[in-house]
Amino acid sequence: MPPMSLMLANQLPLYLPIVILIVMAIIFGAVNILGSHLLGPKRYGEEKMSTYESGMNPIGTARRRFNVRFYILAMTFLVFDVEIIFLYPWAVDFAQLEPGSPEAGLFLGRILFFLLMSVIAYVYAWKKGVFRWD
Amino acid sequence: MIDRLWFLMPELIVLGGAVLCAILGVSRKVGVRNLLPVFAGWTLIIAGVVAWLFVYVPSTELAAVATEVPLPWLGRWVVIMSAVVGLMLVFVQAGLVDRVYEAAVAAGRVAFDPLRTTRGEYWVFFLLSVGGLMLTSGASDLVWLFLALELTSLPTYVMVAIGRVDRRSQEAGMKYFFLGALASAVFLYGFAMLYGATGTMSLVDIRTVLAEQVAETGSMNPLATIGLMVAVLGIAFKLAAAPLHLYAADVYEGAAAPVTAFLGFVPKAAGVIALMLLLSVTGWQEDGQLPQVLVILLWVMAVLTMTLGNIGALLQTRIKRMLAYSSIAHSGYLLIGILAGPGAGYTAVLIYLVAYGLSNTATFSVLAGLRRSGQEVEFLDDLAGLRERHPIMAWGMAISAGSLLGFPPLLGFWAKLLLFMAGIASGQLVLVIIAGVNSAISAWYYLKIMAIPLVGTPKSDAASIERVDVPGARFALVLISGALLVMPVALSDMIADAEAALREPDKMQTVDEDSGHAGGSAIKQEQPSLQS
Repeated sequence: MPPMSLMLANQLPLYLPIVILIVMAIIFGAVNILGSHLLGPKRYGEEKMSTYESGMNPIGTARRRFNVRFYILAMTFLVFDVEIIFLYPWAVDFAQLEPGSPEAGLFLGRILFFLLMSVIAYVYAWKKGVFRWD
Repeated sequence: MIDRLWFLMPELIVLGGAVLCAILGVSRKVGVRNLLPVFAGWTLIIAGVVAWLFVYVPSTELAAVATEVPLPWLGRWVVIMSAVVGLMLVFVQAGLVDRVYEAAVAAGRVAFDPLRTTRGEYWVFFLLSVGGLMLTSGASDLVWLFLALELTSLPTYVMVAIGRVDRRSQEAGMKYFFLGALASAVFLYGFAMLYGATGTMSLVDIRTVLAEQVAETGSMNPLATIGLMVAVLGIAFKLAAAPLHLYAADVYEGAAAPVTAFLGFVPKAAGVIALMLLLSVTGWQEDGQLPQVLVILLWVMAVLTMTLGNIGALLQTRIKRMLAYSSIAHSGYLLIGILAGPGAGYTAVLIYLVAYGLSNTATFSVLAGLRRSGQEVEFLDDLAGLRERHPIMAWGMAISAGSLLGFPPLLGFWAKLLLFMAGIASGQLVLVIIAGVNSAISAWYYLKIMAIPLVGTPKSDAASIERVDVPGARFALVLISGALLVMPVALSDMIADAEAALREPDKMQTVDEDSGHAGGSAIKQEQPSLQS
């Protein structure tokens, strides 16, 4: 095992693409803001300066209380979100296994078990009355 | 990478049971909802039996997996211990949640609304937390250790808040959550430094890298040392050890008594196991040399924890606060075992955990089993003369408090004796003397807890204290009291079993022949309480 500083020095070039990406992102953002600031026309008015709310006329302030059901519904969405996060790398790995081999069967069985668990979570949310809106 | 899923079978059973509890909890049939504790109890029994009979038996697969884990056999002890103590906790907590709500539904005053019930969720969190404790023992790397500790802790925050519907338990839950999150951040920071110093997450690899660094430079990498210290301090929160013990009294008092019994055992056991695994990276299983700075840190923590815990308990009149401080003191005793090191010290820690877990559950089951106009009994003086009206409760309280004190011939005495002997054998004489003085201090309040229910003069309103209508707490009290009296008979078997649980992977082949014997005995001792 080489000393840590040497290890780091060996690994540093691996991070070069990330550095390039960060620099590109900064340049892209700066150029866009500066460009539209320098080149764009400047016409101010009451409409123009008001809050942008997807093209609608703004109603009231944004600081009001929302029904708690929105949050529960959003959490239910997380069930599927996490499912996708696991399914994607699983699918990539599964394609490399030999079809019909015991490993593939085990692999499939485990993801099906996971899907069953998330379906149960969904059924739980349903029974709990998350989707009832009255 | 070797497939380890088979060795997580007990944990998977518990997690699966937790998921099914969620479904049972929203059932409209009251009979199904009442089955929840039964279901949770059976889940724990099955997990314990699977760990005992199938998973941790010697096999080539296990031998292969064992090289990746610092203490591969530890899981067997921890899973069975969690299952047994967990089952007792199930008895204590049965019928706790939603007591008022379910009564209102049964009387037809309100219609059942799945959105309002929390009984199912409580058992989900109960099983998840116990599953987290089981997972901790099998940790092979830092990420696993962190996730297992979080799985143990996160559900307890919710359990404190929903165990009882009043402001104090909500407040306790909030406090516990914020401080717990802070502590998690602290030990995660320590893990990050450990990773930075060694470049690997695996505990076994960290040990190898650190040993190489020591061989090269003559001392341990300072970053790794600081990382270990920070991680140990963060884990001190789980143990409720000084300097992170301050939350314990408030949280333990605010939570309902059955939940407090849970808090006193599960997070503490997980913290102790995590500490054993984490300290294994210094390689002191081989050379017996813990870095001096860590020895000093653990020594100071042990002394502070014992002393603050016991003196704090002396000053209390509220029984739950008293027991909370006493549980802090027990963390201090456990740290002696950790300092005494692999071998005799860790063996004593494993046995002490069982003794402490059972006695602690029993003392709280007395509080859980008594009620005065719907509220818990708060002051120790209220229990005066309990023997006249509820003799089982009074004697159970005396036996369990005696075991916590270390009163011969109860199990707690032998566990404490082993702990102190291991401490002396490892050269920590001063620490053991301090612990002895602390034990003497603790005798003052433990003897009060033992004596007041038995021989105290009842207060004028003592008649208003009555038993709760659910018999679970009394049942657990009788079982545990019996176990505390009987288990010392099998002490040598328990020691053999604990030593077997601490075997190291490379020494496994030589010990395999007698593992069949070592496997059976102590569990046979615990098994009656499992099945009855």
